[in-house]
Amino acid sequence: MTRFRQLALALALLCSVGRMMGADDEKARFEKVGDKMQCMCGCNQMLLKCNHVGCPVSPVMIRDLQASIKVKSDDEEVLDWFRKNYGVTAVILPSSHGFELTAWVVPPVVLTLAIGLLILIISTWRRRMPRVAAGANAALDPELESLRSRARRETEI
Amino acid sequence: MPLLGSFCLLFSLALALYCFGAGIISLVRRDPASNRLGETARRAGLACFIAVSGSAFALVWAALNNDFSLAYIHAHSNKALPVAYKISALWSGQEGSLLFWAWLLAGYGFILRWRHKVDQRLVAFSSVILAGIQIFFLLLVNFTANPFGIMDRVAADGNGLNPLLQYPEMVIHPPMLYLGYVGLSVPFAFALGALIMKYPGEKWIHITRRWTMVAWLFLTCGIFLGAHWAYSVLGWGGYWAWDPVENASLLPWLSGTAFLHSVMMQEKRGMMKVWNVWLIFTTFLLTIMGDFLTRSGIVASVHAFARSDIGAWFVVMMVVTLAVCLFFFIKNRSHLKSENSLESLVSRESSFMWNNVLLLAACFFVLWGTLFPVITEWVKGHKITVGTPFFNYINVPIGLALLFLTGVGPLLAWRNTSWASIRKNFAIPAGLSFLMFIGLLALGVRPWIEPPHFSSLSDFLHFSRWLDFAHSCALITIPLATLVATTIVLEFLRGGRVLRPKLETNLFGAMFHLTHRNTRRYGGYIAHFGVALIFLGLAGSAFDKENEQPLKAGEKMQIGAYTLVSQDETQDDNANYTSYASALEVQKDGKKIGNLYPEIRIYKASQQPDHMVAIRSTAKEDLYVIYAGRNDGEVPVIKAFIKPLVSWLWIGVVVVVLGTGVALVPNAAQLKSPVLAQVASTVTAPAFEKQMEPAGVGK
Repeated sequence: MTRFRQLALALALLCSVGRMMGADDEKARFEKVGDKMQCMCGCNQMLLKCNHVGCPVSPVMIRDLQASIKVKSDDEEVLDWFRKNYGVTAVILPSSHGFELTAWVVPPVVLTLAIGLLILIISTWRRRMPRVAAGANAALDPELESLRSRARRETEI
Repeated sequence: MPLLGSFCLLFSLALALYCFGAGIISLVRRDPASNRLGETARRAGLACFIAVSGSAFALVWAALNNDFSLAYIHAHSNKALPVAYKISALWSGQEGSLLFWAWLLAGYGFILRWRHKVDQRLVAFSSVILAGIQIFFLLLVNFTANPFGIMDRVAADGNGLNPLLQYPEMVIHPPMLYLGYVGLSVPFAFALGALIMKYPGEKWIHITRRWTMVAWLFLTCGIFLGAHWAYSVLGWGGYWAWDPVENASLLPWLSGTAFLHSVMMQEKRGMMKVWNVWLIFTTFLLTIMGDFLTRSGIVASVHAFARSDIGAWFVVMMVVTLAVCLFFFIKNRSHLKSENSLESLVSRESSFMWNNVLLLAACFFVLWGTLFPVITEWVKGHKITVGTPFFNYINVPIGLALLFLTGVGPLLAWRNTSWASIRKNFAIPAGLSFLMFIGLLALGVRPWIEPPHFSSLSDFLHFSRWLDFAHSCALITIPLATLVATTIVLEFLRGGRVLRPKLETNLFGAMFHLTHRNTRRYGGYIAHFGVALIFLGLAGSAFDKENEQPLKAGEKMQIGAYTLVSQDETQDDNANYTSYASALEVQKDGKKIGNLYPEIRIYKASQQPDHMVAIRSTAKEDLYVIYAGRNDGEVPVIKAFIKPLVSWLWIGVVVVVLGTGVALVPNAAQLKSPVLAQVASTVTAPAFEKQMEPAGVGK
């Protein structure tokens, strides 16, 4: 059996175990999806954290969330339902399609570019290093050396 | 008093204009007469502080004397408000907080000009730049956001201070934050001044280091006091919500932290001069950007001031500042040539560079997430919301990489570190860290979701369906924090053991002396130890538990190992608010361990509710209880959380503050012999650097 087949078999086995274990743990999904939404009463708090007394919105949203989790198997579908019915601001996580995808793409691209640039700069410096190092060794100043010795003597414990 | 306040504001603007104009003339002409003119400019700058102080005093006086003829006092104070909160009215609204900013800036300027003998010409340049910034804020408070505006008719009482701000920490948090924000103007002024005058050598860095550290320390205290206030008052169980205004304070903190690290490369190796100058320019620009975000209403925030047209002023200020910085950078960039270059990817210098890249990446990501709603509004015509999960997904990995560098960086040698020395220095910390990782797994911390949420191959590729982000991060963070703490403790022990026989003292005495001999290095280690504790506290949030239920007298609720038994319900009423509270007995394993009194207050002036959270804090966890409200049957609803390890977050902040304080104290060597400092600042020879390496680092 090739290595690829072994891997595919292992994944398939893992998936079927996942299915057998009950893929739809509603409570966990409720908490996970609820943490990606905000209360729309204007308090700007996360939906499940809204503690504002007598809030007219969060209990309704939480009921809708529980109902959506039951009928929709995909979390992204649940979030899309809320975007459609409560407005795009109900969800506090940019979606993974359309223009909002840029929110997710830009940070890793920028970080990769920055790291690449840093490695490039260091490599360039290292190529120039022998000349600089020779210069630095020649720059040992006897006067400074004597100052250094004096400082050591004066601060010796 | 309002008249005096207004007059003082106008007078201070005139003084700042004179300080700026006369200062520039004296710096350009450079003859004996212009020296006298420069001295008058300096004195005008000193007097400006007195004039702005008069104005701030007038506003506080009006608040203390309930002068509701002033629109600002009417909006932010009332008769029943306690004295401390009346004083805090100075910074609780748009106009007052701008006056407070101008006052702090004048205060910093006063100290800088008073101590002008440290370097008269550099201070003269810096003074002119500070006067330029001062003019901007004084123009704002004089002409756009004047706190001395008079009401058409005098009201009998004011609207009162926002109830959320009526908390002791809130009296301290904004001044701390503002001291940090405003304080960063001083290193900016020094850096720009040094660039304009082509300041020879790195002395300006030494002069500004203390200013930068003090400002950074205030900003750190301000940010964490705000976090602690959110934790203790807002009652949602958290301390950081990635709100745009919170982010605004984090941006200059991140770039300022990068500057504090990279500036060491310039001091020790004469490197990264362009980088450092732009870092401090960026940090200052980010403080103005923070003001813009908070005051313009461009982003929705619970902390922001009301939407106003003041934002345009800040945009102009940012554009002008950037133009001035760019102009002088292009004109004098030859002065910023690096004296050395990086020789290895594994060295102290490179660790600073990685640290800088990561800190600036985090800074950019926070800015990106904060402004993304505005960008989508421009592009798509509607605002989307970017909240906590996005910021966590993007920034937590960066934070972990920074934590790793915190442990590793200080133990790398300058110029080059061999693998042998890495193995030697990191064997014990890495071993302990690995043991911690195994221990966490044994204790039941699992990075995967149980049961996993996947049923197909494509689901498997969506990590969030089978990998628990919070637990995974905790599983990495705690071993990394162990690594950092161990490397630092070993570093102290190693140094202490070397000094102990020479000093004929015990190990603690030797370590104390070691710290005193090199306060900067060992103060830095202490601060890094605090950072490790902060991360430990943050990691605890992965194990939070919560429960909510209506609780009549005599009823019980369970949360984790705790049982809360309602003993009584109380109601109270005073001139400022009406309050409802529950008296709860806390039991653990059936035994009483204490009482908690969660409370809700309804403030009369504003009719706004405010939670008084009841917290039982231990090193292991906090039991956090709020009185959420009353249900339809008028039964108190109690919400309880268990917040593991959160105390370590606050302890970590105290340790960071302590470490920074130690780093600010002069070295024993500097006190004993100034000549050592001279040598340290001048010599960059390899032999000398070898001695600056951490103990135990070999090649």
